[in-house]
Amino acid sequence: MGLEKVKEKRIIKTLQFGVLEIEPHHIFYFENGILGFEDLHEFVLIADEDTLPFKWLISIENPEIGFPLLSPWHLDLMYDPGPEFDLEKQVLMVIVTLEDENKQMTANMKAPIVFDVENQKGWQTILMNDKYSTNFVIPKKTKQE
Amino acid sequence: MLVLSRKIGEVITIGSTVKITVLGYNRGVVRLGIEAPKSIPVHRKEVYDKIIEINRLAAKTEIEKLKDAMKNNPVKINKNIKDNLSNQTIVSSKEKENSEKNKEGE
Repeated sequence: MGLEKVKEKRIIKTLQFGVLEIEPHHIFYFENGILGFEDLHEFVLIADEDTLPFKWLISIENPEIGFPLLSPWHLDLMYDPGPEFDLEKQVLMVIVTLEDENKQMTANMKAPIVFDVENQKGWQTILMNDKYSTNFVIPKKTKQE
Repeated sequence: MLVLSRKIGEVITIGSTVKITVLGYNRGVVRLGIEAPKSIPVHRKEVYDKIIEINRLAAKTEIEKLKDAMKNNPVKINKNIKDNLSNQTIVSSKEKENSEKNKEGE
């Protein structure tokens, strides 16, 4: 199990996205899971055309668990996670909460999900710098926009 | 829990790679200096707990709720941002109808 690659296509049923046909190249292996979900290791990214540019990170082991994601650059063009990331090879995404405790839509800019595309691995990191917040409020469009 | 008393300037080692130095104490606040390799993340526990709480909240997001939010209360998002994950992403939309039918049948 684990890093051993499964060659065949897998089919999972999800309530939210229907039946998903998962090819081996879709799967990201999260060795340590995601904080709070340490026992989940295999995830796939879903793009639903109705909710673009959001993407969804869905657990294969428990498809009821799914996180809406945005690119941090969707929210802040100057987002700078630091020199330890190789942005040529790693893709960073942030988890979005539709309603936080203040009923606002927020993104966790402090703890992005890192996708190592080449090795199909993923993990959640916590940035060392204090520039970014765990609950960055996503601004609403004004009426003119 | 192991309890150790240390004076200012004294050090605790954890394994062979982590060193914690007591730097000072002022008005109920202890300042610690922590040296650890990059592979060992060091964070205030509140940050860690907060992230777990946020993850648990986000993990059960319903797609319909996001659709409603996008329709009724659109958010301001920078355009034309590419995430370079398109080869790894499964595009969903067509298969959904079937599953909705299945749901009704259950």
